[in-house]
Amino acid sequence: MIRSQMIDRRTCLRGLGAALALPLLDVMGWQETKAAQAYKPPVRLGFMYMPHGVIMDQFWPTDAERFLDSPPPAVESLKPVLDQCLMMKGISGVPTAPFNGAPHALELSTWLTATLPDPAKRSEINIAISADQIAANYVGAMTPLPSLELATMPQNWKENQAGLNEGYYSHCSYRSPTQVVPAETNPRNVLARLFNQKDSGSAAVSGGASPLDRNLLDLVLGGARDLRRKLPSSDQRKLDEYLDSVRSVERRIAAIEQRQKQAAMEKAGLRRDHKGADSPPIEIKIPDGDKRSEYMQVMCDLNVLAFQTDMTRVSTYIGSRPNGANYPELGFSDQHHSQTHHGGDKTKMDKVAKIVAFNIEQFAHMVKKMRSLKEADGTLLDNCIMMWGSGLEDGDKHSRENLPFIVAGGGGGSLKTGRYLPDVKGNQGDLLTTLLSCAGIPIDRPVGIATKQIEAIKASTG
Amino acid sequence: MMTTDYNQSRFAACWVQGFLAVLLATCPANSTPAQDTLDDEHAARKVEVEKLFRKDVTRFIKTYCIDCHQNRRPTEAGVNFSPALNTPTHPAFTEQWKRAAARVKAHDMPPEGLDQPSDEERQMFVQWQKKIKFLSPKDPGPFIIRRLTKSEYGNTLQDLFGVDPEIAAALPDEVSGEGYLNSLSPLQLEQYLAIADKVLDQVWPVGEMPSGEVIDRLIGQKIDPGNRKALATAKIAGSLARTMYRRPASEQEIATLLRVHELGRENKLAVEDAFRLMVKATLVSPQFLFITPAEQPDRDAKIVRLDDYQLASRLSYFLWATMPDAELMRLASEGKLHERDTLRGQVTRMLASPKSRALFDGFGAQWLGLDDWRERAFDQDKFPQMNDALRRAMYDEARLLFEDVMRGDLSVATFIDCDFTFVNQPLAEVYSMDDITGQAMQKVTLTNQNRGGILAMPAVLAATSFPNRTSPVNRGVWVLEQVLGEHVPPAPPDVPALKVQDETATENLTMRELTELHRSDPVCANCHRLLDPIGFGLENFDAIGRWRDSDDNGATIDASGVLPDGSRFSTPAELKAMVSGRLDDFARNLAEKMLAYALCRALEGYDEIVVDEMTERVAADGYQMQTLITEVVTSYPFTHRRIQDER
Repeated sequence: MIRSQMIDRRTCLRGLGAALALPLLDVMGWQETKAAQAYKPPVRLGFMYMPHGVIMDQFWPTDAERFLDSPPPAVESLKPVLDQCLMMKGISGVPTAPFNGAPHALELSTWLTATLPDPAKRSEINIAISADQIAANYVGAMTPLPSLELATMPQNWKENQAGLNEGYYSHCSYRSPTQVVPAETNPRNVLARLFNQKDSGSAAVSGGASPLDRNLLDLVLGGARDLRRKLPSSDQRKLDEYLDSVRSVERRIAAIEQRQKQAAMEKAGLRRDHKGADSPPIEIKIPDGDKRSEYMQVMCDLNVLAFQTDMTRVSTYIGSRPNGANYPELGFSDQHHSQTHHGGDKTKMDKVAKIVAFNIEQFAHMVKKMRSLKEADGTLLDNCIMMWGSGLEDGDKHSRENLPFIVAGGGGGSLKTGRYLPDVKGNQGDLLTTLLSCAGIPIDRPVGIATKQIEAIKASTG
Repeated sequence: MMTTDYNQSRFAACWVQGFLAVLLATCPANSTPAQDTLDDEHAARKVEVEKLFRKDVTRFIKTYCIDCHQNRRPTEAGVNFSPALNTPTHPAFTEQWKRAAARVKAHDMPPEGLDQPSDEERQMFVQWQKKIKFLSPKDPGPFIIRRLTKSEYGNTLQDLFGVDPEIAAALPDEVSGEGYLNSLSPLQLEQYLAIADKVLDQVWPVGEMPSGEVIDRLIGQKIDPGNRKALATAKIAGSLARTMYRRPASEQEIATLLRVHELGRENKLAVEDAFRLMVKATLVSPQFLFITPAEQPDRDAKIVRLDDYQLASRLSYFLWATMPDAELMRLASEGKLHERDTLRGQVTRMLASPKSRALFDGFGAQWLGLDDWRERAFDQDKFPQMNDALRRAMYDEARLLFEDVMRGDLSVATFIDCDFTFVNQPLAEVYSMDDITGQAMQKVTLTNQNRGGILAMPAVLAATSFPNRTSPVNRGVWVLEQVLGEHVPPAPPDVPALKVQDETATENLTMRELTELHRSDPVCANCHRLLDPIGFGLENFDAIGRWRDSDDNGATIDASGVLPDGSRFSTPAELKAMVSGRLDDFARNLAEKMLAYALCRALEGYDEIVVDEMTERVAADGYQMQTLITEVVTSYPFTHRRIQDER
């Protein structure tokens, strides 16, 4: 085995200020080997969100034939990678009745569930498991983190629409119909969590360094089960979230231990590493200021790094939340939401168009970076399915007949990209079900309102 | 490992069952089914309202609504009265009744061109929505054990270990009070583990004992760190669990902690470090992270009173956002806490403590719309003075008024109008006062009657504006919903705000003229003739709350308005006087919002009757703030729980 390209691990995390020890990067073993050819990388699935819809004539391509040469202005930033993108018109959202008075509370909550909240329990969370969590349930056991949830803004917007629980407003990931998955908003904490550093106040578990922690958790879990038996059933279900979380953390510790064993074996020459030709892990620079583009790009980079190093295979990034967001960087202080009710006003429409293009630019930054990274005999992007989208088509009218989506990546050969499909007939559940299937997730039932898969986007039939 | 543990717990469980049987036999108080029968007055109202529904309401809906809003797909505007006619009290329709009443009241429904109900019929329908509550059985509402919020968790760590509550900063931010998610994810659990380590690393060096102060707080007794033999493990585990779980621990819970201690010893940890491990175990246990009952309710009980320990935690987390102190724990152990007089006394004591600031940071800020104050953006070109210092001063002004009313037990009417406020030098500039110096907030007397109270307060005026200009509509909605407790129907989705035919013509319009365009459109007019005048009444305050006589374009501000009932006003002072005239509505709204915050859930059904009764007693007692808070903590839903057991 030839060890030719050992990278100084500290260089990958320049910009952090402190020099950090990254034991897990031993696992990556990005040195050259010949085993690379035989290795088929896993498919990763990512979602990125923007609220309030698009300016339609800036977003929808006019001519499917000329999609690659002259893309619509909103997606200009994706031009260099359009051959690995798919756009499709005709994906409808979940019908909103009886929540017609809650257009924005339904944007995120239905986005990955393709399901309406239960009207009889609207003041609590009662919806459905989301597509990202369905994927995490299946592939999550193979990585240290089952899934990664990121957001630009805190998820505590307090607005009650049609009596729906406030949580619906800013959450798209649901581990079960009643259990919300919150997102990380601090890039430092995400980095620490990915590479398991302690002493940053973040969620780093003691990565196998202390088997005591696992034993401790076992005892605590036993105590929690004792408590559970004494509680009424409604409380028991609440405690089940706790039990489930403890088990998940135990699995995570086990996955980390497993990786460390592999690394040790590789180091000792007992096991051959299969990721020889891969690019080294990307560098993360955490910005000092609060410039939105820099912040979103570092979150996108973290997503790339997590996929690249196989820390997780599922991610969700809420790039912006409904309401309360503005974009001083674009030269105006108006709130995104207030501008989307433009009523045809040119000035407002221009501002919305800029906001949409800005959000897609950040997505493009992520996708382009994925394409720049070698993985096996292709690029990281070849093995990803990255979906960008919004929960409304036209924010002015709250319409959901043609939700805007962009799918990027080869999906390990499962998607036929470089196309605009102007007349796809389906709903958002159909699309999510299709993407799960392309990511190799066996699906025992459709996502939300899905009735079929959208075969037209797949490589086999395209 | 797991198997062994399971067997051990099972073994312990048998033992504990016996223990619990004794416990239940000796503590019957909380297991006795509480009175859940209706009093006569309520029962009579129920019969009357049922009759009203079967006759008048059903006829109203069949005449004016059902042709469009019936069982068919797609439902018209998502509103379907067919099932609601069968089960009017089903929670699925609560919101529908509210919105229907609001729209009928605003003459927004039935739409123009269709048969219109008479004014009496409209009135009847609007009143019906307020009477639905009488159909509900007496019930404390849904209850599920609650996880500590991020701030409660941080504060509790501070009380226990003397650490900065910011140690919990990495946890996700969340909505507190009504709308609280009460959900737990693996991410949070990982963070709890990491934060536990961080706390212990700060206060408990490996191989040593922590400071006497910390030990004293954790196990409620002094221990000579030099004398290891003084550490009787079982006793310490019991005391530790009582502190961390905020209630006496069961034998089983103590046994778990002893096993953790053993685990430490088996792994060759020093005695000190084995104790440290035990503390870590409590920090990630559900008994610490959730508020759990001390006692197991009777299997047959449907509604029970909270045990005194559970009540102590509920009370303490409501008023202080932290764990109960020694006095609350003592009253709980004596079984006295739930007595009305005790609770009233505790409210006064607890509000006097600086810790009660948490009630403003949690509840007050949310009520006034300042909960996202720190993230709020202002147009820096237009308002360069809105720096961190001024923002903090604005927030503190609202907080200090709230605390003054709360600690001084003033009438809640003070919120609507008063002749004092709190400013420092930067904030005094917003008020155009020039004799205030320094950064410290000080109480000042206001001579200008347009100022004083929450309606004329810079933070609120700024929070209801856009980053670069005022919004009469936002301010109108805020006054109606947050101050008077009315329900404003949302704008219809397909009608864009301020649709204008001729764009060039709008450039010269004032904000008032622009907003009045709403009323030229019949779809908008019905609601906006309610909202806009109130917003106009506050137009003399700019988007950061400074007084102005003319707008950005130099046009003179016209702050006069007429409400649909014909009442008129021409200055903010007159608007405030009108709102003060609706003190009962204001007090009811404050009681309702505070109860929802205290219960961490939306109110429904029987809760509405509770709020009515609370409001009556608050009014009878001069609208005093401490009476209102006492009414919340002695209320039926605060002191009782429904056992939702489907076993």
